[in-house]
Amino acid sequence: MKNLPGKLLLLSIVAAVAVTAQAAPEKATPERDREVFENRFKERFPDLAKEEYANGVYAIDPIGRESWEAIEEFPPYELFVDDGKEMWDAPFANGKTYKDCFADGPGIAHKYPHWDKEKGMVMTLPLALNQCRESQGEKPLKYKKGSINNILSYMAFESRGQKTNVVIPEDDPRALEAYEKGKKFYYTRRGQLNFSCANCHVQNPGMKIRSDMLSPALGQTTHFPVYRSKWGTVGTLHRRFTGCNKQVRAKPFKAQGQEYRNLEYFLTYMSNGLTLNGPGARK
Amino acid sequence: MNMKKLTAMLCLGAIVAIAGQSVIAAEKKAAPKVEATDKSAAKSTESSGDKAAAQSAIAAAESARKKAASIDGEWRDTGKMIKKAQAALKAGDFAKATKLAKKAENQGKLGYEQAQAQQTLKMPSYLKY
Repeated sequence: MKNLPGKLLLLSIVAAVAVTAQAAPEKATPERDREVFENRFKERFPDLAKEEYANGVYAIDPIGRESWEAIEEFPPYELFVDDGKEMWDAPFANGKTYKDCFADGPGIAHKYPHWDKEKGMVMTLPLALNQCRESQGEKPLKYKKGSINNILSYMAFESRGQKTNVVIPEDDPRALEAYEKGKKFYYTRRGQLNFSCANCHVQNPGMKIRSDMLSPALGQTTHFPVYRSKWGTVGTLHRRFTGCNKQVRAKPFKAQGQEYRNLEYFLTYMSNGLTLNGPGARK
Repeated sequence: MNMKKLTAMLCLGAIVAIAGQSVIAAEKKAAPKVEATDKSAAKSTESSGDKAAAQSAIAAAESARKKAASIDGEWRDTGKMIKKAQAALKAGDFAKATKLAKKAENQGKLGYEQAQAQQTLKMPSYLKY
């Protein structure tokens, strides 16, 4: 064979390039991350259809599901949805309403979170609602408890059936940076108990932590805000983030601060394709 | 010796004895005051030393907490422990203040080390890329 050493050298170079080209997991694209993420759950729960993940822990806990289905006949979040509709319809002091900020509303929960190029940040629905209020001369609402959950419940209810579709625009590298920060947060161990979000919800969904079953991360964002029996009320996604961080004995971050908005961006992206079904009811 | 002289000598002896007892009793009463002053002084020195140690421990704990917080590594209970230590200091329970502060300092150090170790993202092996 002519020039065998040369051909072998070329082959080695090609092989080396091919191996290098398989991006390290830390550098994978968001879509590759999402595929791998989804495959993890397919491996963990091979008989579970993707759309079932929108039901959270009740997709994998048959006993819990029975109670949940009974609760859903008279859902505890109904009153919050009704109050939320009143809020949506009620004019501000200046005579305008939320409709003036959200022309396509109220069924627009699927448009959040998204990358706000102008502001250079992840925009979430609660943040957008408060920005609307402040632009109309109203005081902002608190982000974890209280009446923000009413209007979020109403908007979530009106958005049922829409698909999760978080976009990371390629024309603004800051959006990818925010996604990567959210991803980093998700897989970072923290707190005295040294857990990452992934330890519970990607590594060990279906396992018990004390008496509770760990819910799978896939689909976790579809049903917020959520009525939690433990809270006795409806609460936001960032309230749950706060609680989770406290449970691993880490100091929580600020609701609607950069850390939790980036985390929401990453986590919601992971559930792209799943149907929104909020508000939800959980233990 | 006649009886009058003997009686006078006995009386004088009795007076001297009684007077001596009084002096001894007075000295005994005085002595505790001297001891008490010594003990109080000792306690005061020890106590101010304990107070200084507690203050120093609290300062060290707060420094460790801030260091952990600077890289998002603060744990949930560190700040609460420092506040409890400060309350104990204020109440004069220096031993408790020091104990709590040292525990908080340890948490601050561990939180910082943890955050340092977690600086670089490493994807878990159960995710199959």
